Amino acid sequence: MATKLVQWITALVLFASVWSAFVFDLVPVQLDPRIKEVIVPLPVYLLIVFACFSLATIGYRVATFNDCEEAAESLKKEIEEARKDLQEKGFKFT
Amino acid sequence: MATGMDQALGMGLVAFAGAIFSYYTIWVIFMPFVDDDHVLQQFFLPRFYAIALPVVAGLIFLTFIGVFVTAVTLAKKKKSK
Repeated sequence: MATKLVQWITALVLFASVWSAFVFDLVPVQLDPRIKEVIVPLPVYLLIVFACFSLATIGYRVATFNDCEEAAESLKKEIEEARKDLQEKGFKFT
Repeated sequence: MATGMDQALGMGLVAFAGAIFSYYTIWVIFMPFVDDDHVLQQFFLPRFYAIALPVVAGLIFLTFIGVFVTAVTLAKKKKSK
């Protein structure tokens, strides 16, 4: 299997060639002008869809973040204890 | 569990992304098949803007990223000098 980059570039080039064929009328098929109106903005549309998906994923992960406050507090306390302990033993903190 | 504020913000972002997706999908994919005298047409700008607005927004976004990276790089250089 080729690398991920090669896979992505292959898929992109394939999509670009099919899209260009339809947009620049290189296909022998007679297209309904309305279908053409949908195909022309397709790259921009797919970009926007990807952007929306990314935004939604980020928002969802923020909303469902597994934040454990008691664990955070106890961890901070342990860090303080370790810090004091090491300082007594002569460790120099910047 | 994320805090209440975080949950509200997160779900708000999801709703916002969903709204943009829905409006843009209807605009680009469905409107060409809607008659010119249908009542739905009044909610959507001419199709020229379906490409122009994202392109302009994209350029603004890239400019913002460029300015941000430049600013942070300069600030760091000044600090380490």
